[in-house]
Amino acid sequence: METSGQVQAFQADWLSKTLAGMLLGLALAYVCIALFAWYGPGGIDAQDKVQFNMWMIAPLWFSIFSATYVFRTGKRAWLLLGIPTLALYGVFFLLRSMA
Amino acid sequence: MKVKAEILRTYQSVHTWTGICAGLLLFIGFYAGSLTMFKHQLQAWIAPIPAELAAATAVPPQQLIDKAIAAYPQAMAKGFELDIAHEVPYLSWYSQGGARGMNLDNQLTYAFLNEHGELTTHVAGENKFADLIDYLHRSGGLFGEIGHDQLGVYVLGIAALLYFLALVSGVVILLPTLTKTFFALRKEKGASRLWLDSHNLVGIVSLPFHIVIAFSVFVFAYHDFLYDGLGKFYGDKPLFNMPPKTEQPYHINDLPKLELLLEKAHAYSGQHTTVHVSYNRLNSPAPFATLKMENPSALVRGPDTDYLFMHPYTLDVQNSSFPQGVTGTWGNTVATFFSLHFGTYGGNWGRWGYFLMGLLGAFLFYSGNLLWLDKRTRKDGEQKRSTLFMAKLTIGVCLGSMLGVVVTLVLGKALQQSAFALNELYLWIYYLTFGAFIGLSFWLGARKASVFGLKALALGCLGLPLATMFVQYTNPYAVSWLDSIWVDVFGVVFAGIFLFAASKTKRRSQSREASSIWSMQVA
Repeated sequence: METSGQVQAFQADWLSKTLAGMLLGLALAYVCIALFAWYGPGGIDAQDKVQFNMWMIAPLWFSIFSATYVFRTGKRAWLLLGIPTLALYGVFFLLRSMA
Repeated sequence: MKVKAEILRTYQSVHTWTGICAGLLLFIGFYAGSLTMFKHQLQAWIAPIPAELAAATAVPPQQLIDKAIAAYPQAMAKGFELDIAHEVPYLSWYSQGGARGMNLDNQLTYAFLNEHGELTTHVAGENKFADLIDYLHRSGGLFGEIGHDQLGVYVLGIAALLYFLALVSGVVILLPTLTKTFFALRKEKGASRLWLDSHNLVGIVSLPFHIVIAFSVFVFAYHDFLYDGLGKFYGDKPLFNMPPKTEQPYHINDLPKLELLLEKAHAYSGQHTTVHVSYNRLNSPAPFATLKMENPSALVRGPDTDYLFMHPYTLDVQNSSFPQGVTGTWGNTVATFFSLHFGTYGGNWGRWGYFLMGLLGAFLFYSGNLLWLDKRTRKDGEQKRSTLFMAKLTIGVCLGSMLGVVVTLVLGKALQQSAFALNELYLWIYYLTFGAFIGLSFWLGARKASVFGLKALALGCLGLPLATMFVQYTNPYAVSWLDSIWVDVFGVVFAGIFLFAASKTKRRSQSREASSIWSMQVA
């Protein structure tokens, strides 16, 4: 990441930003929903909650996707979406392995 | 609100390209979606219920069921539909084909009791006009199948994602000027500006509707894939608990009385009335009954009614679209998404509201394309080949598709008594008209084609009452035309609207407005 304190110029980076939104956005949406499914209200066994969870993936993914063009560069989009995604997957599998 | 210039530029590009890629498909999805709000009325208009069926005798439905089971045990055991919405009950089963998939050559056998209380049957091809409108709505009219779904449904799912991006980017690029120009409809600054203002106003005002439509379309298309992915996170937990299967097949002779089934349904929800029961696989170990439950004073979750799934023998409630009690929270939330897509809340007001919202949505895509074409023409200072191509395609697809439906309605009704296979006839008329108009648009150019198309649409809409009169004249006692008079009335109303649009477009094309796709120098 930029450590020089100097703000990097804005770059369109269409392909890498779009791919970040499409792939990382979906991965991030899934892990958020997965955490919500197991540890959110009602837990994993609540009746019909699986339908709600399935429904919520799309709006979450779409929202992240549509926000990726705010990042200054494609690389930043991958970093700033990739780090929380990896972290949340780590948390999720850690929690599941302890159960 | 201040937004950085480069971000604005980026979102302007996102808006343009998502709109151009998905706009035309979404146009068809939206105006056809508007029509689905009244597809039963249109179905009843184009193919009225046969007179002999309408003259059947009012009897308790149980009498009809008993006589039908005695006479046709095999067919009835496979499954049958019972309509109890009307005073005169009738039932039907597929004597060819089935409810699943999109078979155009399905045959239904209707059974009812005549005036002497005798069981009478009437075999007829299943008239699929309403289903075809629905198909056009869900697939944009694209052919082909993948798995158990149409190709077009998956394509529209992707279009829905692009449409969401177009919505968000459209809002972002409006943010800096939103408060100043929100309700401004600037007529004095020229037609282009008025179109832009209308496009923005419609987009912002109906934003919540569009957001719900965008993600629900995606979920309708891709729910199987989404569930598969979710299953990975559920680990050993099954996503759904399947009801235990019995090994012993049931037999139709043991079918409990309809009354008992209806009582159970009423006990489940006192506010709902059962209007239709569909019995399935009655001689199997896993029979089921689907009840359509009407409740005009509340929101319902299906396209028309709520659903209740019951075991036809044990009479246990197995599932429903309106879960009751404290465990129903999640199910009910999901049900809300369905009703927000289908517009099944607020009864007829909701229906009309969604009809209008759908048309405004179609306007959003149509105006978006035209605005982009105007802007490109101004920027380039001339008509580039690609701009001209897109202009012709936009006019051809949008007007052609609407013309296709109108011509199908008029000819379909007029030829109802003919020897043609009607469902195939509908398809032929639609696709021929659609294709012919696109061809015409490329031949005449966008300007002439749009005036011609709008006039043709006006004429076609005027053809609706004419077709009604023709049928009435040639076959005076077959049907009661009064039942679907509103379709004719709105045919005239829309004829007026299209005629108005045609004259506006013609005037604009003669005004020689500087480099617009409408100007005269462009053929």
